[in-house]
Amino acid sequence: MPASKQAYPFRWRVMDAVENMASALWPSRFSRGLPYLMLLPAVLLVLLLVIGMIQIAESSAHTLDRSTFLPSEDHTWANYSQIFSTGLYWTVLWRSLLGSAIVTALCLVFAFPYSYLMVRTSSPLLRKFLLIALFLPFFIGQVVRAYGWLIILGNQGVANGLLGLVGIEPVRLLYNYPAVLFGLVQYMLPFAVLMLAPALTAIPEELESAANSLGASWWRTFTHIVLPLAKPGLVGAGLVVLTLSLTDFAMPAILGGGSQDFIANAIYDQFFRTSDQGMGAALTLILVGIGSLAVGLVFTLFGAGTLAMGRDRK
Amino acid sequence: MNAPLSKTIVIWVMVGMVLIVLSAPTIVVLGASFTSGNIIAFPPDGFSLQWYAKIAMAADLRDAFMRSLAVATICTLIAIPIGTLAGIALSKYAIRFEKTFQIYLLLPFTIPLIGSGIGLMLLFGQMGMLGQIWPIGVACCVINLPFMIWAVSASAGSLDPDLELAAANCGAPPISTFLHVTLPAVMPGVISGSLLMFILALNEFLVSLLLTDARTVTLPVQIYNSIRSIITPDLAAISVVFIACAALAITLLDRLVGLDIFLKSK
Repeated sequence: MPASKQAYPFRWRVMDAVENMASALWPSRFSRGLPYLMLLPAVLLVLLLVIGMIQIAESSAHTLDRSTFLPSEDHTWANYSQIFSTGLYWTVLWRSLLGSAIVTALCLVFAFPYSYLMVRTSSPLLRKFLLIALFLPFFIGQVVRAYGWLIILGNQGVANGLLGLVGIEPVRLLYNYPAVLFGLVQYMLPFAVLMLAPALTAIPEELESAANSLGASWWRTFTHIVLPLAKPGLVGAGLVVLTLSLTDFAMPAILGGGSQDFIANAIYDQFFRTSDQGMGAALTLILVGIGSLAVGLVFTLFGAGTLAMGRDRK
Repeated sequence: MNAPLSKTIVIWVMVGMVLIVLSAPTIVVLGASFTSGNIIAFPPDGFSLQWYAKIAMAADLRDAFMRSLAVATICTLIAIPIGTLAGIALSKYAIRFEKTFQIYLLLPFTIPLIGSGIGLMLLFGQMGMLGQIWPIGVACCVINLPFMIWAVSASAGSLDPDLELAAANCGAPPISTFLHVTLPAVMPGVISGSLLMFILALNEFLVSLLLTDARTVTLPVQIYNSIRSIITPDLAAISVVFIACAALAITLLDRLVGLDIFLKSK
């Protein structure tokens, strides 16, 4: 090696070696395939989920033999027909669907002004405060938040203490449907606000001023200008809240106390209480189907493209 | 802009309600953890740090917390290279079947968590990998991967492709161009994405519940199991650990990239 090459800094020589290795492994004539090579690890990672879904589909076709507690050998649709003929599952399904619809509506109504104020305020301090108040619960996790609600809503809790001050007898606030919905709304609000905010940022403030100067009241400006233009954000936020609350496990389990099960809780019970894997797997597939159906329905009703924009503008 | 009074009132009343609902659990948990009594009470029954002393001594809680940290670290370490490459590829190149790739990579969002969790449980169980920490990290990475890709591609979209061409024109080979031009440009996305991945994996509950057993229980699952038996103030003290982690993550996010990054429209 000539002396001048020896004088190159160590880093240069390492980089040269790396470059040579890269061009040997992936010559430049393959460069059109480069993006696919970059996507490959992500595709493989998500493949784990796909294989998992196939596994679920496979086990859903076996019924549990009650005498041996082994899954049956042959493939049947028996689990599915049993689910559709059992009233309990219909109750759980209806409870989850109704619950997630109510939670979605409430979340959108309350997330909107929060998002609007956060985007429009001229004070950076207020904006930062609103962002922190939003991110703190978002980053704390469901279990801890549900635990907080247990302290607040419990029979000896803060809420009943406040009620007692105005002379109201302690009320049972926990382990009922409203408690679960309330917990879900609190869980979902940060998601809804964060999905709405970019859509509201995209609405020029001048449009509102223009409507104002033409004599529109703020409510008319809101219903005729802001709301229609915010539709992509509303659809994105609504979809996220709807699918996440429909399939939630922790809030019904902790705040519902076992009496307010959602579909996810029924699935968990099939796997870990009754150990009927086939039945649990069939329920899981039905839930996946309902979730996809809801996404598809919202897309056809309100237009697509919003999910990719709001949530994943790749 | 001077808004009409009625609009200001309506907005502030609703925002006030949201603020109360969002912050109430955090404040109550914080307060309850400092109680000197033996039962959960808010406002707390005197001030003491006895419950913190108690959880510092509890080996099972400490172990569970260390396992949660390990899970979150594994998840983040996997997500950074995979998510960064995929995010750059999707935002920079014209890819054939781009829509298909997008829908496919969104699967972790569209498949319900309970479905993903049970699928992975069956898969890992068959491969004999249950009872270890790292499969939980992998699982947390899979279910949250879209967050990472989204964060990276959002910053990669603002990268001027001419910059990379200019670097190549000045004689920089592909890897150098990537390291010195592309990577610094997407850094804000990588940072916010990996912080998000870390904190989501640290808090991940349902998938951990399905994949853990008595030896690998993570802290959220441990708290969940304890809530079901009896609610004592030491749970509040552990929960404060999560609140501290969240506060730390927000501070980092704000210092490194700025929280406003989430308000930007595309």
